[in-house]
Amino acid sequence: MIDVRNLEKSFGDVKVLRGITQTIQKGEKVVVIGPSGSGKSTFLRCINLLEQPTGGQIFIDDEEITAKGCDIDQVRSRMGMVFQHFNLFPHLTVKQNITLAPVQLKLMNQKDADKRAMELLGRIGLAEKADEYPNMLSGGQKQRIAIVRALAMNPEVMLFDEPTSALDPEMVGEVLDFMRELANDGMTMVIVTHEMGFAREVATRVLFIDEGVIMEQNEPKEFFANPQNERLKSFLSKVL
Amino acid sequence: MSFKERFILNFIEDNRWKYLLDGLSNTLVITIFALMLGVTLGFLVALVRVTHDKTGKLKLLNNISKLYLTVIRGTPVVVQLMIIYYVVFATMSVSKIVAAALAFGINSGAYVAEIFRSGIMSIDAGQMEAGRSLGLSYKTTMWKIVMPQAVKNVLPALGNEMITLLKETSVAGYIAIQDLTKGGDIIRSRTYDAMLPLLAVALVYLCVVLVLQHFVGKLERRLARSDRR
Repeated sequence: MIDVRNLEKSFGDVKVLRGITQTIQKGEKVVVIGPSGSGKSTFLRCINLLEQPTGGQIFIDDEEITAKGCDIDQVRSRMGMVFQHFNLFPHLTVKQNITLAPVQLKLMNQKDADKRAMELLGRIGLAEKADEYPNMLSGGQKQRIAIVRALAMNPEVMLFDEPTSALDPEMVGEVLDFMRELANDGMTMVIVTHEMGFAREVATRVLFIDEGVIMEQNEPKEFFANPQNERLKSFLSKVL
Repeated sequence: MSFKERFILNFIEDNRWKYLLDGLSNTLVITIFALMLGVTLGFLVALVRVTHDKTGKLKLLNNISKLYLTVIRGTPVVVQLMIIYYVVFATMSVSKIVAAALAFGINSGAYVAEIFRSGIMSIDAGQMEAGRSLGLSYKTTMWKIVMPQAVKNVLPALGNEMITLLKETSVAGYIAIQDLTKGGDIIRSRTYDAMLPLLAVALVYLCVVLVLQHFVGKLERRLARSDRR
């Protein structure tokens, strides 16, 4: 479903990604780990072209999104993205945050979108917050609503860019629980995170990115129990 | 002469208060049309500048916008006003009021453009990214997500520009428009009393500004709804 070929990205003279090739199948939960500045977030942000790659190709469902003339808005509407800093729209209520995109893109009328938003909010136990503004909410609530906002578009894949890194420790659990639920429902997920426990438990595959390349990848049990790459060994020894 | 006699001389005799009232009406007409033109122009120029900075598109328009900002902000508004009336419209019969509204509107637009631009730039890049990641176009994201927040942030500065504009129109007398200031000045020249007419003019400006401030404050409070905790 996601096919990345020899992806490169430079910011000025700094080469952040130096040739990443990766195929992600439908239903996979791929967790990406690596030291800060390794390029893991850039890799994720290239997948929906929030960063414009400087080299290589990316295919989503066999459509090359790096090709000229590709309708990237259309492709993005099928891919949900969750940010480290939530990026809820502060001038809109929770419900408006969730319904804005489906209604603007004419996928639903306002009434159906409202109904769907209430369903999704009910699922995370925040239905009573529907008419409040984001700054009334805790970080954990904000992030779960940000996930719901992405889900309202019925995406085929969800991209998570360090979704728990900006949260107070006691709120990490509720967000991870919700993500775990999504994984169990069969959602295809690509997750950049520092939560090793979550990676071990939920991932079908773990990638280790350092210096702009994938240094190692494996299913989680082997990955954590039996790392091969020296850099990965030293990284795991620091974070575990 | 007692105050009462001076008051009668300056405002009542020969219906001299009419100079102030007619002047105020001209001042308001010029201000309102200049304001509408300025906000529209400023909004468009700000959009061009920001879109160019963010996407690299609209290069030609961006250069024109930059030239406009440099020229307008680099020259006095009185000079611009006279150029528009005596040079640009020299051979056309355009009413002075229209020329003034154009001149002040074009002038104000340059300042409004930079106000809007600072407002748009004050919005976290994550807002644009979040909108785009949901599949919304640049235009829709700008319009539905970035702009409403930007406008809210610049409302105090925009109110300030409105007040400045109102007061700047007091130089309209340079092209022989009888605005509020000119009206007071005419009374002074008739009665040889400077204090009362000029104080009256100042008082009227102040009252108009107070009304403006009241409405801007009201709007600010309404838009601040989502800030309440």
